[in-house]
Amino acid sequence: MPRWIPSGAQEESQLLKELDLPNTEALFADVPKKLRVGRLGIGAGHSEPEVVAAVDKILDRNRPLSKFASFLGGRIAVRYVPAAVDAVISRSEFYTSYTPYQPEASQGMLQSLFEFQSLWVELSGMDVANASLYDGATAIGEAALLCKRLHEGERFLIPASLPWEEKSVLSNYLAGSGARIEEVPFESRTGRLDLSALRAAIARPGVFGMLADLPNGFGVVDEGLPELKSVLGEIPLAISADPLALTVLEPPGSWGADVVVGEGQPFGIPPAGGGPLLGLFACRKEHVRLSPGRIVGLTQDTEGRRAFALTLQTREQHIRRSRATSNICTNESLLALAFVTYATLVGPRGLAELQRSLAERARTLATALGGIPGLEAPRFDAPYLSEFTIGVKQGTATEFLDRLRRRKVLGGVPLADPRPGAPAPPGQWLLTSVHELTSEKDIQKFARAARAALPRGVAA
Amino acid sequence: MTFRQARWDEPLIWERPSSDDDPHPIGDIPGIPASLRRKQPLDWPEISELEVVRHYTRLSQMNFGIDTSAYPLGSCTMKYNPKVHETLARRRHATDIHPSQPVESLQGELELLWRLERALTRITGMTEVSVQAAAGAHGEFAALLMIRAHLQERGELGRRTEVILPDTAHGTNPASAAMAGFQTREIPSKDGCVDPEALRAAVSDRTAAFMLTNPNTAGLFEPDIAEIDEIVHGAGGLLYYDGANLNAILGVTSPGRMGFDVAHLNLHKTFSTPHGGGGPGAGALAAGDTLAPYLPVPRIVKRGRKFALDYDRPKSIGKIKFAFGNFGLDLRAYAFILAHGEDGLRHIAHRSVLNANYLGKRLGTVLPRPFRPLVKHEFLLSGSPLKERGVRTLDLAKRLLDEGIHAPTIYFPSLVDEALMIEFPETESRAELDRFVEAFTRCVRDTPENLHGAPHSLSVRRVDEVRAAREPILSRKDLQAAAKLEAAPPDAPRP
Repeated sequence: MPRWIPSGAQEESQLLKELDLPNTEALFADVPKKLRVGRLGIGAGHSEPEVVAAVDKILDRNRPLSKFASFLGGRIAVRYVPAAVDAVISRSEFYTSYTPYQPEASQGMLQSLFEFQSLWVELSGMDVANASLYDGATAIGEAALLCKRLHEGERFLIPASLPWEEKSVLSNYLAGSGARIEEVPFESRTGRLDLSALRAAIARPGVFGMLADLPNGFGVVDEGLPELKSVLGEIPLAISADPLALTVLEPPGSWGADVVVGEGQPFGIPPAGGGPLLGLFACRKEHVRLSPGRIVGLTQDTEGRRAFALTLQTREQHIRRSRATSNICTNESLLALAFVTYATLVGPRGLAELQRSLAERARTLATALGGIPGLEAPRFDAPYLSEFTIGVKQGTATEFLDRLRRRKVLGGVPLADPRPGAPAPPGQWLLTSVHELTSEKDIQKFARAARAALPRGVAA
Repeated sequence: MTFRQARWDEPLIWERPSSDDDPHPIGDIPGIPASLRRKQPLDWPEISELEVVRHYTRLSQMNFGIDTSAYPLGSCTMKYNPKVHETLARRRHATDIHPSQPVESLQGELELLWRLERALTRITGMTEVSVQAAAGAHGEFAALLMIRAHLQERGELGRRTEVILPDTAHGTNPASAAMAGFQTREIPSKDGCVDPEALRAAVSDRTAAFMLTNPNTAGLFEPDIAEIDEIVHGAGGLLYYDGANLNAILGVTSPGRMGFDVAHLNLHKTFSTPHGGGGPGAGALAAGDTLAPYLPVPRIVKRGRKFALDYDRPKSIGKIKFAFGNFGLDLRAYAFILAHGEDGLRHIAHRSVLNANYLGKRLGTVLPRPFRPLVKHEFLLSGSPLKERGVRTLDLAKRLLDEGIHAPTIYFPSLVDEALMIEFPETESRAELDRFVEAFTRCVRDTPENLHGAPHSLSVRRVDEVRAAREPILSRKDLQAAAKLEAAPPDAPRP
């Protein structure tokens, strides 16, 4: 066993002696015998080399993305993480520190979080950002709850194109509030929000808010979004946006969004099997006291020196208890540090350049796949950035992806909800994405594999 | 030991000179109409890698961490974060994987999560575990949604609207219950523990659940837990276990054995995953027979020799987080359990309880200790005698920082005046405990002047938190607005 507990029975027997106790068992005299457990059945301990060998043996059963021509992405993107990001978050003063409730002992983390908040304010075009939430999906849930505090009603509108995982998380976040989600359909040709359906939905009273995403769950950059606020009027608008897209797109704050959330993972955080992720949250200054999560503010010390502290804590669970704006305590601080470090290392020019090159590459991919009979690539006639939807004319997306995988191509993420009996989007659609290392060769490999993977007669 | 923290006048990142201030308008983005394009490029500095690294390294030097300072934070279980876990979590086979990969290429992740869930099932004595939650409070919320779904199925949701908690409960408990749509009702403690009579008087056919931490936040093992089980279940309610204090009872007793229906665990406390300055953490949900069918999907299952994702759980509440959970943290927790094994886990409970009792006995001569002396992983002190000298617990906490030791949890639980809540986990040695006793005694006996002025040795002096809340400056945007206001001539109109 490793030496993580100070070794030596002698030290323990001395401590027991100081307590006038015969043995450690006496420390548990208050735990009734009938509540004691016997053997747990989890085996003996292991040395460090044994643990490393055992964990590596399990991990070796993963095939990393680099072994494939991979086109996976969606909310969890595959982006290169510069080595310096990991160097910064590996400073143990950061990663082994506690929540900065004692500001004097935590200026480093507090200033970093203040910089992170400032960056999300800049990207989103909003007034105030918090110091992070768990992930983009839970941030959508918190955004809906803020809308509920701002406006009467019991219906929250979302695009039908929203990823099923986010719909499910959101409905859980709303379950206790008596509110429900209502899907606004998309235009079949473009994948954009169907504005006439939206108008019909808000004509009926009881809508307290709406969410739209950028790009949407189909990868579509909906040109109608900047007009949404004029359609909604007083109804609060929440936007879920990709931070990289916001380096080149007009920020939602400038076209009237009331809350802007997002998944921060694409900035400096590896996909790592799905977590940890980073929830981004920003809102208007007048709503900050109704908003969830920790917030860092700038102030000064008794000598007038600039200093930072967690602030507006009367919104939070440890003070307000059942009347808190959210139950969140632990958040994703270290990843907020990774986010701001990443953006600063790449720089505004580099970020815009990255988004441009991904958009170009996605177009190259669409061209390569576009001519293949049996595929609709892209499925929608609309602007897109790094990803787009492919429609499979026969069979399901999952079957198609399985056949691609046998040719070492990971073609994308199926869009259907895998739960039995779940509603649309249909099983024929998948979202395909490009990344920095997507090469011309990978694209050709995808096209060849796709032709071979389609059922005979379709591809012919 | 003397301690001086680094004191860099480190500017905000955008105050560093930018190496390139040329305008760089966003050019054409293929396929994107000009109307959608950003008119103003991102206003953020262009600085070199060295400058970025130096900036954040300097900031790190103005931050406490476990590697430099002991953290006697009650209920936070700030134990050592083993270095080997950092190495393992950064393996390419752990980072360069996507949750939407076909499961055939993700067998390692699924196996690791499956094994972790199995180990936690055994440790908690429950039926099934899910590690989808991102943190403790997130797990609480999910568990309460499971209770909600269960009550709905029983046709009792309309009636059972109340969650009962002791007044010593962590703040997340009532907040999670409210978020899940329940009303909360706090019952007063007796001698730091649940008063069975108060609980008996509170339960009714409106009771959905009773939430309890055991050992509780006073560090006491609830002596009437069997009776509590009987009262709550007798009234048709469910029993919820807050696992924040699980460290003290590892391998000794378990939530399952104590009669709980559902529990959340904080893997970043008991199972040593790093706190990261406030997160990421990882939460686990452990459910007994009644609530297991409601756990989030997907469930990770073993079919023959292969691992698979099972979405066919008709009673499941669905998803509470985008992917499977915080895999990087789950991996660390699994490695921690593997290293310790059964006996090692029990040793954690023994040593953490030994540390708390030793420290409690010694510090009990310095400040009054409420309640009975035998505690589990943590204990309370009251700073109220300091008030005679015009000193508050807060001053004592700030003065401790000067000793290079983090402050304990203060002013919680609220049933003790000027409370200090102290927990030194199993990874701290006797030498460190004795050092803490000396430092703590020195601080208590220090002059009011020194205590009020503390801290003296950190990068900043006492931070004005009132000002931070009264005139909130929450980003660069606010800072620029404040500077503009200051620069404006006195007769200029003020917004």
